[in-house]
Amino acid sequence: MAYFLVRSLLILAFLILIPPLLGEFWAYQLGLYFIYGLAALGIGLAWGQAGILPLGQGMFVAIAAYVTAHGLLALGSSPIAYLALPAACVLVAVLAFAFAALVFRGRFEQGPSFSLMTLALTLAAFQVANGWSRVTGGFNGLRNIPGLPGLDGFLDLYYLIAILLGLSIAAVDYLLHAPIGVLWRATADNERRLAFLGYDVAVIKAAAFAVASGLAGLAGALYAPQQNLVTPDLAGFAFSGDLVIFAAVGGRATVLGPVIGAIVVGVLSAELRDRFPWWEIGIALFFIVVVLRLPGGLMTLFVPLRRLSFTRTVTRARSVAPGKPRIATSLSVAFEDVRVRVGDVTILDGLSVRTGEEAVLCVIGPNGAGKTSTLNVMTGMLPRRGGRIVIDGADVLRPEPAIVASKGVARKFQTPSVFPKLTIDENLAVALWAGRWRGFDLLRSGLFGWTSPLLEEMRRRFQFLDDGTRPASALSHGERQILELTMALITEPRMLLLDEPCAGLSHEETTAVIDAIQWARGELNLRVIIIEHDMELVRRLADRVVVLHQGRFLADGSVEEVQRNPEVRAVYVGGSR
Amino acid sequence: MTGGYFEIQNISGGYGSGRVVRDVSISIARGEVVCLLGRNGVGKSTLAKLACGFLRPMSGAVQLAGVEITGKRPSENLTLGLTYCPQERVVFDDLTVAENLSLMRTDRRLDEFEPYFRAFPRLSERRGQYAGTLSGGEKKLLSFVRGLSEGSAMMVIDEPTEGVQFENVVRMAELMLAQKEAGASFLVVEQNLTLVDRVADRIVIMDHGEVALSAAASELDRQQILAHLTV
Amino acid sequence: MEALLFTQGLNVVFEALILAMLVLGLAVVMGLLNVLNIAHGEFIMIGAYAAYIVQRAGLPYWLAIPAAALVCGVIGLVVERCLIRPLHYEPFETLLATWGLGLLLRKCVELGFGRGYRSVEIPIGGSVSLFGESYPAYRLVLMVVAALVLASLFVWYRRAPTGARIRAMVGNPVLAEAVGIRTRELARNTFITGTALAGVAGVMVAPLTPVEPFMGLTFIVNSFFALVVGGMGTVAGLFAGATIIGGLQSVLSAAVSPTSAYLAMLLISILFLWQRPRGLFPRP
Repeated sequence: MAYFLVRSLLILAFLILIPPLLGEFWAYQLGLYFIYGLAALGIGLAWGQAGILPLGQGMFVAIAAYVTAHGLLALGSSPIAYLALPAACVLVAVLAFAFAALVFRGRFEQGPSFSLMTLALTLAAFQVANGWSRVTGGFNGLRNIPGLPGLDGFLDLYYLIAILLGLSIAAVDYLLHAPIGVLWRATADNERRLAFLGYDVAVIKAAAFAVASGLAGLAGALYAPQQNLVTPDLAGFAFSGDLVIFAAVGGRATVLGPVIGAIVVGVLSAELRDRFPWWEIGIALFFIVVVLRLPGGLMTLFVPLRRLSFTRTVTRARSVAPGKPRIATSLSVAFEDVRVRVGDVTILDGLSVRTGEEAVLCVIGPNGAGKTSTLNVMTGMLPRRGGRIVIDGADVLRPEPAIVASKGVARKFQTPSVFPKLTIDENLAVALWAGRWRGFDLLRSGLFGWTSPLLEEMRRRFQFLDDGTRPASALSHGERQILELTMALITEPRMLLLDEPCAGLSHEETTAVIDAIQWARGELNLRVIIIEHDMELVRRLADRVVVLHQGRFLADGSVEEVQRNPEVRAVYVGGSR
Repeated sequence: MTGGYFEIQNISGGYGSGRVVRDVSISIARGEVVCLLGRNGVGKSTLAKLACGFLRPMSGAVQLAGVEITGKRPSENLTLGLTYCPQERVVFDDLTVAENLSLMRTDRRLDEFEPYFRAFPRLSERRGQYAGTLSGGEKKLLSFVRGLSEGSAMMVIDEPTEGVQFENVVRMAELMLAQKEAGASFLVVEQNLTLVDRVADRIVIMDHGEVALSAAASELDRQQILAHLTV
Repeated sequence: MEALLFTQGLNVVFEALILAMLVLGLAVVMGLLNVLNIAHGEFIMIGAYAAYIVQRAGLPYWLAIPAAALVCGVIGLVVERCLIRPLHYEPFETLLATWGLGLLLRKCVELGFGRGYRSVEIPIGGSVSLFGESYPAYRLVLMVVAALVLASLFVWYRRAPTGARIRAMVGNPVLAEAVGIRTRELARNTFITGTALAGVAGVMVAPLTPVEPFMGLTFIVNSFFALVVGGMGTVAGLFAGATIIGGLQSVLSAAVSPTSAYLAMLLISILFLWQRPRGLFPRP
């Protein structure tokens, strides 16, 4: 915390001290670039952290600018006029949240479509701003907007902008280091995994977009009194594009990058504009070179600055995570005549199968038998064409990953699905928070200290989990399998779906994983459904085996019974197909 | 281990950082058919992709007719006489059957496919149809015919009989043997013993990314193979 | 009344055909290669300037077509080599890079020709009487040429092995390499074709619109959303998108106002992006 304060104060002091040294002209210029920087800061958060590229932030700047302009025009020198700033800000944030939540609801990987929708919206906003003269002043815009009451000259306003920018940077910095920031990076990394842990991905993404747009709103609210003029150009797509360029040039993955991008491009333009008639070609080339050679933006060049905004090595006090409300029985699931078709291909052809008394159910079958599809249709990743799926006695009409997860089903995928760009600790933390956070917990950094007896036991069994600062992408295939298994287990589910959990594991790792599964099964009174090809493993784990073939139930029973079954032998060797 | 026509030498590799295949060597002589067996997920397909240039090996080398082809593009390998038929996505779904076959020929005639059409009349009937509408087994046949018709000296085929009915598997075996007589070599990843019994000169069984067993087909009886394959 | 309807109908067909011509290059680059070439409009603009130069030099107007194709093709070659391939044809990265490219091309043209509007004279003047209504001859010629170009490209794409190979490469790049398609070279040539086609479209529309460095921006917006509505990578999608967007623009512009036509286009695009992000006729 002390670190955080010192850094924030340093940045603020820097921002406040420049203009007296540079004079009124630069106070005006920098004030404008800072305003752009505010909007770019938001783009950095949405794009660089949550993976949502907004192509139409100019629209939010414009809306806030028009609202503030009207506020200032109506209220004049009354101090109430200041209320226009937060009002404009909150208004666009709410609009942005509603829009994004609506678009993201129930859909995954909508990224490119969403970007294009924001582009279309800002193009429309530009037309509206041009045409709706009564409110926007039309093509000429709103003119002679009074400044903020009590602030005289560009220098006064500069201080206000600088303070607000400093506070915004500190706020964004805080958010990105809070649990919500980790969740934002997690959605950009692996939306599906997050949904399968039970998070509402649409709301998490919409929140990022809302914060970004709120910052664009703040930029717009300050733009009106700073420029004393608001024109439709703010909603033009050239301006929105410039904001994206600022974020890309500066470094979208960092907090300060987008702000620095706005200032550098702004100052560069101002300096070049006077000296070279074709300065814009230089800017365009500069941008292209950054895209090609510096995908991380200018911030990759300023390592010391990056340190200033990033490293935070605080050892947090460990605390036991709040318990999850648990039902102590294991979960049952039944498929009744379930049919799945993708295009012309039949995948499940009237599958009927149900869990019984057994704790560990192994599903086997040759390639294309529909084993993974069975788990997919149950967790809402494949649409069903007919039949019923009953989980815990209740019909699941429209299964969705987060809904199924909230019923207590955890899933581990065939190819390990973790958050590769997050560290081991962050991966584990995201899983541990799932279903345990309440209220404003996601803003409390105390959550990073959470642990649970189950997690401690897994750490004891698998030493590499202790190396918490390693990114998951640096783990071996086998370690990632184990990490994902751990993540699934520490959500303390009632049912665990495992798809070839030991694929790619060495013999020692396989043994350790089987031991862990068996231990957790007893600990959590867990039902485990495993898809497995390795009969050695099936023999060691299964209480009951179900054989699928061509999307249908073929046989079940104990391992020995299934192995003796002539039909089962036939489909495996293929002679009589 | 040198002297083979197609040499896979100490290949290791996989997807991304995952090492699925560990230090595998297989040598195939001219006119030899090697069948690669093993349970799902032991790295057979990955080995085929590593050998044909679709994945870059982490270590090891591949030689074709004494020429090093490690790291070469598949399209280049084809001109050197190495054909590959994948296990998945085996045909171009949005091209017709005829287009799938004539894609790389300047004239669009299908005359030279007549022998194959005689063997698999089903394909001939469907030549105007989009390949995406074929059944899984029919796609496999189409892919097999495409590969065989390239006339390469070395063919790597990944699970050619998945979903193919018995009679057609027998015909596939006959066509392969005819090509083999003409001097072609094959590496066939396979689960179906119907084909293996008919074509294999040598059998290699993989487990956990490594070669578990390699023997002449005549030395192995069916029970031994089954022990490695079935449940 | 009937005559008016007839002219109006012709206008709809005209708008749809011209838009299809303008979209064609983008459909090749974005629909087939998945490269979001934001600078597509600038290639159209360069084509229009080529027409301007050819006309100013007193050469026959049709010469502008090969000239524009050549210039835009060469620029396309350089862009593919220096921008698109290094970025591995990734949609997101190429979007950013071509955004910068668009800026660069606009400014370079501005450097050479200034900001002002240039006008290209209509090479074929006069009008033709159709069922008692006169209709500009150049528009008719354009419609015929556009229809011919589109039809022949359609036939070529369906029949020639190259068309099939592009479809094959895009649909299944791994298998394409396996059957011997040199995917890298094919992708490059396809990209160049797309930019050259944009140049040709620029020549065709140059006499109908003020030629200036920023003219590409309107074209890219319309082309882009026509593809979004129609669907990427299919001929049916190209025609459906061009007809819906072009026809809508034409009818609403005449009946209400150009602004409402534009807003309607954006609204439809947003609805499509939301509910049917792959368009009406997506690639299978």
